Formats: sequence, structure tokens, C-alpha cells
Amino acid sequence: MDTITSTTKLNSSEIFDLMKQFITEVIGEEFVEEMDITMESSFTKDLEMDSIEIVSFSEKIKIHFGEQIDFTGWLSNMDLDELINLNLGTIVNYIEECQ
Amino acid sequence: MPVINVETRAVHVQELNKGAAETVLLVHGMFSNLSIYYFNIAPILAKHFHVVMYDLKSHGMSEKIADGYDLNSMTDDLSALLDQLELSSVHLAGYSFGGLISLKMAARFPDKVKKLAVIEAPDPNDDKTRDIIDEYSREFLEYYVQNFADTTKSKMGKRQMEKNHRMYEYLFHETSIKSDMIRERDFFSAAEIDGISQETLLLYGASSNCLDAGKQLKKKIKRVELMEVDGDHNVPIQQPVSIGNLMETFFKN
Repeated sequence: MDTITSTTKLNSSEIFDLMKQFITEVIGEEFVEEMDITMESSFTKDLEMDSIEIVSFSEKIKIHFGEQIDFTGWLSNMDLDELINLNLGTIVNYIEECQ
Repeated sequence: MPVINVETRAVHVQELNKGAAETVLLVHGMFSNLSIYYFNIAPILAKHFHVVMYDLKSHGMSEKIADGYDLNSMTDDLSALLDQLELSSVHLAGYSFGGLISLKMAARFPDKVKKLAVIEAPDPNDDKTRDIIDEYSREFLEYYVQNFADTTKSKMGKRQMEKNHRMYEYLFHETSIKSDMIRERDFFSAAEIDGISQETLLLYGASSNCLDAGKQLKKKIKRVELMEVDGDHNVPIQQPVSIGNLMETFFKN
């Protein structure tokens, strides 16, 4: 698969905006318009993303950041409770640390 | 998102550890998608193997197709996918309906299947699955989701409920899935099951209502081991690490 690795280090606000863009691409603008997406938004409860949508979201991170961020590997170390409660802020922090 | 064309149909495929010498291909169940493996089971197997997951037709992010849900058609699809990916033979694992596809694949294309792992494959002669189609309604989905949440801890919101409702409506009313399933009623008593020669691992939930199906298969397949894992039919969701580790050991040794 082709990857487009981002070389510029992003700050947390820029990562948040990028994640929001990915979420919009995955679940559709019409649903995102009805949501107030914040750093506290949880993937399953607030954003109502199902697992195939999280796969799609993970792919976007993989394509954007390339090898520098093993997002799927990071998720795979979480148990079901952690995955269900995962929020956007935790992901933003993880990506910021990995850059 | 890796969506590839296989004989003119769009198929969503995910691969891990592409450089590995041997491949494990994972087949998901009906009304599900490849994500059942993606986050936990596949990464365990990818420590040693090239792992391939794909969405069955009309499932996940693969193209919607109106017909061809019988096991011959589903294994034709899988065989074409292997050819497209230039994989001459793989270790194969399937869950639930994916387990039936995997059994059929081992029987029809023995040269393409090395070892076989079957997770919670139901007996197609059991009317419960077809009854679900007959009785399907939105109320049923809401009840099912509530029950599913009890065993998997996953809650479904309004958007997901609508999305799933649309998928069920499509599969139940606009495809041949029901009649195709009826045609497979005698699959477990067919001679081809007795003819499966691959080393086979059967993984079933100890409290699953499909466990009897596993016991039937154990009697019919020659080189077979049946292992019970704590859980019910949702055991890959309930015990992904155990299922992943058991398959890793089985395929490695």
C-alpha cells in the first residue's frame, strides 16, 4: 500500500483538526455536522464509530504518518474496555508523542 | 482504503506483515466484517505470518452483490481472491459462516489450503439462523443488539442501528442469501466434509449453542482437534487473545 508520510511535526491542535477531518471522511459530513467533536469525544459512545469505521480511520492514520506511528499496534494492546472508552484526546496525545 | 477488483467486484482487503513466508487468511462471519480480526487476532498472527483479511460481498466495505451466497460461490470468490493476490496456498481460518466457507474451501480446493482453523461454524441444518431471517424486524434488531451488548460490552447508537438495519434489510430482502443458505442445509452430512484431509483445529465457545456442531465436525474430519474456549458464539470478541494464541500455535507447529 502506498503511504504518504508527513514530515512536518504537528502540534496537538493541528493533530486534532486532522483527526476530525479523518472522522468526517469516514462517517460522512452529514453526521459530523450534528456532533460536537472535542478532545473528550469517545469513539464508540459519542462518535458512534463501529469497528470497521475504526479500521478505516486507522488506515488514514497509517497512510498519512507512515511507519512512524504504529496506530493499529497501539490499539491492539488495548482490551475491550479501553477500546470502548478511547477518546480523541488520547489519540492526539499518542500521535504527538510518536512524532 | 485498500479496495481491489477481483473478477470485476470491489473487495476490501487488509494485509499485515506482507513479507512473511507463509500466509494466514481470515474469513469473517455473516453480518460482520474483517474488523473482528483486525485489532487483536490478526496482530498476534502477524508476528509470524503474512495475514490477509477481506470483507465478504455486501459486508464491511466490499461491494454489494445480489446473489451468490451459497458455499460454492463464496469459495469461488475466495479462490479468485487468492489468485488475484498471487497466493498459491495459505493457512485458512474462518469464524461462523466464515468457518463454513473455510471448510468448503478445504474440501473443494485442497491444494490451496494448508492447515484449517474453524471457529464456531454452525450446523447449516440448524433452523435458528434461517428463523432469524424469517422473523427479522427492527424490533428484533433492537432486541439482538441488547443481547449482543450483554456478551460483548458493545453498545450501538442510533446511527449504527440505522446502518445495521440497512445492511440487514438489504441482505434479507434484496439478495439471495436466504435461499442460498437453505441449499446448504445438508453440508455437514455431505461426503466432502469426511474427505477434508488438512490438519484441522476446531475452536468453539464452551457455552456456545454451536458447540454441538463442533462435536459433529470432530467425528467427521480425520486429522482434527476440538478445543473449547471460555465464552459463547461471540468468543472471538470475548477472548481474542486466546483465539489468536491458539491459532498462532496451531499454524506454527
